[in-house]
Amino acid sequence: MNAAGGFADRVENALADSHLRAALDRATSQLGSRRLLALATLDDSDAVRDAARAARLGALANLADNLERFEAKLIANGAQVHWAGTPAEANAIITTIAKRTATRRAVKSKSMVSEETHLNHALEREGVDVVETDLGEYIVQLRNDRPSHIVAPIIHLTKQDVARVMEQRLAVPYTEDTQQLAAIARQHLRREFLRADMGISGANFGVVETGTICLVTNEGNGRMVTTMPRVHVALMGIEKLVGSMAELDRCIKVLARSSTGQKITVYTTLVRGPRGPGDPDGPEELHVVLLDNGRSRILAGETAEILACIRCGACLNACPVYRTIGGHAYGDTYPGPVGAILTPGLRGLRGWNELPHASSLCGACREVCPVRIDIPRMLLALRRDGADDSKPRSLGPAMKVFAFVASRPRVYRGMAALARWSLVRLSRNGWIRRLPGLGAGWTKFRDFKAPAGRSFQQLWRERERQKGRAA
Amino acid sequence: MSAARTAILDRVRAAQRTALIPGASDAGRVLSDPARSAAEPGAGRVLLDPAKLLAKFLAELTALGVDSYVEFSAADVRERLRAIVGGKSVLAWGAGELPYDAGSVTADAAIGASARDVQAAAEIGVTGCDAAIAETGSLVVLSGPGKPRTASLLPPIHACIVRRDDLQPSMGEFFARRADAIAAAACCTFITGPSRTADIELTLTLGVHGPGKVIVIVGP
Repeated sequence: MNAAGGFADRVENALADSHLRAALDRATSQLGSRRLLALATLDDSDAVRDAARAARLGALANLADNLERFEAKLIANGAQVHWAGTPAEANAIITTIAKRTATRRAVKSKSMVSEETHLNHALEREGVDVVETDLGEYIVQLRNDRPSHIVAPIIHLTKQDVARVMEQRLAVPYTEDTQQLAAIARQHLRREFLRADMGISGANFGVVETGTICLVTNEGNGRMVTTMPRVHVALMGIEKLVGSMAELDRCIKVLARSSTGQKITVYTTLVRGPRGPGDPDGPEELHVVLLDNGRSRILAGETAEILACIRCGACLNACPVYRTIGGHAYGDTYPGPVGAILTPGLRGLRGWNELPHASSLCGACREVCPVRIDIPRMLLALRRDGADDSKPRSLGPAMKVFAFVASRPRVYRGMAALARWSLVRLSRNGWIRRLPGLGAGWTKFRDFKAPAGRSFQQLWRERERQKGRAA
Repeated sequence: MSAARTAILDRVRAAQRTALIPGASDAGRVLSDPARSAAEPGAGRVLLDPAKLLAKFLAELTALGVDSYVEFSAADVRERLRAIVGGKSVLAWGAGELPYDAGSVTADAAIGASARDVQAAAEIGVTGCDAAIAETGSLVVLSGPGKPRTASLLPPIHACIVRRDDLQPSMGEFFARRADAIAAAACCTFITGPSRTADIELTLTLGVHGPGKVIVIVGP
C-alpha cells in the first residue's frame, strides 16, 4: 500500500536498479552459505527442524486455549495483557498506555508487527518521539525508507548510502568506515536509551507454560529497550506461541542458524514480567499486546501452515525471485516467499493476488525453511483462489476455434506455417519482445522464444528422405 | 475482559475447526512421547562428559572473540580481575552476588543503586553469572537483587566471572535443570559474545549497543 504503482511497476523499477541487484546478490548468497555452515554444527539438524516444526504446529492446533493459558501466566507474573483485533486497536492500546504513563519518548527494537500497524505514525501523532534502535531500522527511519528484508532491513543499501544519510541527518563528517558508522549510531542511540520513558519490542516467541516473551537480537538494542525505560510494551502476533521452554530451545536452535548463520544470537532475552521486588533495574510495567489482524482468518484456511513461520528470512535468501527484485517490490511488510502467502492472507487476496505468482515454484523456500513450511503448495492454492473469478469469458469460443482447426490436418498445417512465418518475422536474435493481439499479455512481462525455422513434420520428412537415400 | 479478547478467541476457535495444519496431530504425538521429548535433538553427546564441558566452553568463547582465563583459586580470580580492570571505572554487581570476593577491585564501583549517568559512564562492567552454556559459549544472567542488568549492557567492556560448577552443556539442559530459578526471575539473558551487527553490507561490526569486548574468567 505504501509502495507506489502496481506490482509490475515495482518489479520494473527493481530490475532497472543494477546497484540493488548487485547488493542483493552479494548479501543473499552470503547469508545462504552461512546458514548451511551453521546447520552443520548440529548433530542432527533434521531432527531439530522436525522438533521446531512440531512445536509451532502444535501450538497453532490448539491456539485459543494456548492464548488463554499464556495470558493467565503473564498476568500471574505481573504483566498486563491487551488484545487487539486490528492495527488501529493495537495502536490505540499503545498510545493510551503512553498517555497514562506520561511517555514523551519511546525507543523501539525491531518489530515486524509494528510495521504492520504503522505504530510509529500513531505514536508520533500523539506527540511521542519514537526512535528505531536496530541499526538497520534506524537508517531506514533516517531515510524515510522501508525495510527490504525481515532480518537485514537495509540489504538494499550500500555503505555509501548509509554514510550519506548519517552525514545529512546527524550532521557528522562523511565516513564509509562501517566501524565508525556503527560508533556514531551507538553514541546517538545511547542518549535515546537513557532518556526514553517507554521501550517497545516485538516478540520472537511466547512460551505458554511460563508466560515468557523471548527476544533475540545481536546488537543489544533488545536488551536496552527491555531494561532502561520505565515501561516495556511487547507487541506480538497471536501466532507466536510455543508450548514449553524445551520447545523454545528447539526453535532458538534453528532460528539463529537459519537467519544469520549463528548458533545463537548474541543476546537472547527471556522476559517474564516487570522488575522483580528488589531488582535494581528493569521496567516497572510490562504490557503485552496480542494482535490478530487477519491471523485468525489465515488459520481457518488452507494457508494456516504459514503461521508457523519463525521469521528467519531463509526463504528470502533462497528465492530466485526475491534475489532478483528485492523486498520493496512485494509492496508490504513481509517480502519474499513468506510474504507472498502472508500478505494476501493478512490483507486479502484482492489487490495482492499477483504476489503468489512471483515464484517459479522451484521449492527452494520449502527446502531451507527451518520449520519445513510447504510454501509452494500454498502459493498454488492462492493462485487458484485468485484465478477463480478472473476466468476469461473468451476462453470457450477460442477453444471451439482451436478444435475446428486441430481436427483438420490441412487447415492445421496451413495455420501453423502462417504462424511460424509471422513469428519468425517478429523475432530478433531468436526472441520476440512484443506479441500482437492476445499474445501481448504474455510478452508484457517476458520475452517469447521464436519458433524454430522448420516444423517437426518438415524435419521428419527430411529425415525419412535421407534414410531413403542412404539405403 | 475486553470485547476484542472475546472476539479474537471466538474467531480462533472457529478457525481451529477448519484449519489445515499438516501433521498437527502427529506433532502432538511426537512431543508427548517422553523418550523423544526428553532427548535434546542435535545436542552433542560429547557434552554429557563433564570433563569436556570446560574445553568446549573455552573453544566456543575463542570462536566468538571472547578472551578467557582459567584460574585455580579465588585469589587468582581476584588478581586476574584486578589486572583486567586496571584503572578503569567499574559498574559491578553487589559484592554478595559475585561468585568470589573481589576485594578492593570493586570497592569503589558503581552499583545498581547508583545514578543512571554514573552507571552509564562506567568503563567496564563486572558481573558473575547464573550459568554458562558450553555448547554455545553463552553466559546466562538472571535478574535479581544486587544484579543490575546494566552491568553487562552499558559499559564498553564486560568482564564476567564464571564458577566451573555453573557450566551447563546446553540451553536445553539449563532450562530443564534450573526451571525454578528461571521462573523466579523477571528476566533471563543469554549473552553470547560481544554486541555485533552486520546490517551495513553484512560487514561484521562489534559493540554497536552492548559491550564490544567480553572477557570471561573461569574460577574453581
